[in-house]
Amino acid sequence: MGGGEGEGTAKATVLYYCPCTNSMHAQAPAEEKPSDRKKKRTDSSDSETDTSEEEDEDEEKQVTAPLDPSSATHMNRLLPLRASLIECLYYCDDCSELRCTRCVIEEPAGYHCPNCLFDVPTASVRGEKNCCARNCFQCPACTHVLSVVEGDRRQNDKACFVLACSVCLWNSAEIEWTFEKATGISAQIERMREANGCHKEFTNLLNHWRTVQRASAATVSNTTAAHAHGSVTAAAGGAFKHRLGGSAAAASSSGMHSLRRAAASAESTSVPEYTAACYAGEEGRQHLDRLMSLKSADYVPYTTSPLVSEPQRVQLHMKVARRCRQCHHILIKPESKAQATRFKIQLMAANFLPTITVPATLNLQKALAGHGSRKRTVVLPCGPFTPGETLPLALRFSNPLYTEMHVVVEAPSSSSTFAHIDVMAPRFMLPPFTELWEYDDDDDSDGASDKSGASASTRGILDRQGNRVAIQINIVPLAETSTLKIPLRVTCSHVDDMDVNADGSQSTEQRRAVKNSFWVYVILGE
Amino acid sequence: MYGLQIAPQALVCKNTIIEGDIQIGNGTVVHVGASIIAKNGPIIIGSNNIICERATIINNHNIPLVIGDDNLFETDALVGGCGIGHRNIVQVRGKVYGSCVVGNNCVVGAACTTEPSDNIPDNTVLFGSPQARRTRADGNTDHIAMHRKHLEYIHEMLPRYNHIVEAD
Repeated sequence: MGGGEGEGTAKATVLYYCPCTNSMHAQAPAEEKPSDRKKKRTDSSDSETDTSEEEDEDEEKQVTAPLDPSSATHMNRLLPLRASLIECLYYCDDCSELRCTRCVIEEPAGYHCPNCLFDVPTASVRGEKNCCARNCFQCPACTHVLSVVEGDRRQNDKACFVLACSVCLWNSAEIEWTFEKATGISAQIERMREANGCHKEFTNLLNHWRTVQRASAATVSNTTAAHAHGSVTAAAGGAFKHRLGGSAAAASSSGMHSLRRAAASAESTSVPEYTAACYAGEEGRQHLDRLMSLKSADYVPYTTSPLVSEPQRVQLHMKVARRCRQCHHILIKPESKAQATRFKIQLMAANFLPTITVPATLNLQKALAGHGSRKRTVVLPCGPFTPGETLPLALRFSNPLYTEMHVVVEAPSSSSTFAHIDVMAPRFMLPPFTELWEYDDDDDSDGASDKSGASASTRGILDRQGNRVAIQINIVPLAETSTLKIPLRVTCSHVDDMDVNADGSQSTEQRRAVKNSFWVYVILGE
Repeated sequence: MYGLQIAPQALVCKNTIIEGDIQIGNGTVVHVGASIIAKNGPIIIGSNNIICERATIINNHNIPLVIGDDNLFETDALVGGCGIGHRNIVQVRGKVYGSCVVGNNCVVGAACTTEPSDNIPDNTVLFGSPQARRTRADGNTDHIAMHRKHLEYIHEMLPRYNHIVEAD
């Protein structure tokens, strides 16, 4: 649906800019000091900082935001980081500000197993190492979920159960895992593992390490000398402390010191010497030598097979709730039940701010098109863009609120290096959203309200439909490019009809005027 | 051998596309909508097979396409190739192409295809996307009992609701 040249489909996206800087300031230029912001900018050419400083010193009615989102470096480098589609943005009702995924705090709101959809209580998540405690296992061959089926062979007339995969037909009998009961598979696996010598040895080592830790934390000595070899164990000990859990609470910051002291005073502590659980004696030593020696550790491949040979437990999924970083107001709160996909609280930007879209073709209403222009349709321009050519662009604003919204659209005063922007309709009103519009297909229902306004005020407004208004913007590219990024500053204000105090009494109705300003980037071309 | 020869116990429904020299063995069930096309060479189908709806068995080669016993060709399967063994399953939308020879006890998974000139050994399972294959345990014939029950059920119910081609 491109132009007459047939250059391909024209695409346009509208990105909203969230000004979350390191200091998380508001958007009013008077509050911020330009010098602070210049230090935070990683790279900025001198000329641009000078111009922005001059502009910031001007009156507050200047269009440029403190970081000047219309500058070239901003558009090239910072745009992908800070601007996103309106579907990905949140809105804090308390602060009356846009929030993006980077300026929200995430916190867990429930854990569940993706296979059996069992809601795992938070307390047992840690104990089960973030895995499902029930019979949810992954097939080692194809990572599909295994199901417990009755085994075919009956050894000693006992019914046995195996884990089987229905996709690749893998059977746990291939690794000789058969179970007596169909439930509590993980407990039976633990019992099987304990019979294996390696795991017994490992748990024994772990217990010994815990006793060493506890003993070293208890001893308080004033040795200041740090042993060279002790530093390595200290670092490893610091890393392991999180895993060991309970015993670490005793030694928090002095963990590193205590381990060094432990290395120095190994004999003085009351820790008994380590005795191996199995593989003790000559026979065990021969068994270990047969398995592997330390010298051959270099030749063992990093992974023997692409997938582990044993079924792994299914990892739990986490539901996330999001809060505003400044006021800690909850923005997103999902229902804690695993099966529910709804949200208890859902404050999305699209429900508070006007959604701006770029229609591919816009048929002008006859009433509005008759003002001297012969064109009946406005087509989305597609690249490449030649300088000097005036391109008309239609932008459609849609009001999600139940109250009227007043919108002011401004082009940046410091003309960007890419295009000269002329907003034909800088100010307009957006009618409120009513559900009746969905049932009403009447297109020219707004004809009466158009004629009430003066013809000058409708200049630039291409189309009005329900709660949507389309305006025209003329763009003159200054350089030959295939993509155009057009920054616009949008200010929308409405009067909130809701009772702020929620007293329930109609007489004390407080109306608060809410004003939102944000930058929008319209990206044309591929 | 010319034309269609149906063994006495076979069940071939009437609304099927059967063309060419085809021999259908004992107990084999051909569901409605299946196609068996012996284009360039004859097709010999063994006993106790189940050919489901919209399955296609097509022989593009001059040599006869021999299909063994106890196979299951599920819905929308495509079977070309040069030979199929016994007790195989070609799952839904599985394709056996070209001049491929399939052994015994194999499973061609759902929407899986074989390479055009591949020989699939016994006891192989093709599965997944990207496709992988692995060998299943030898002699694992659990599905045979299910297959027999499936056959019994079909032999009982199918003639009640479909028109059957009379066997010779």
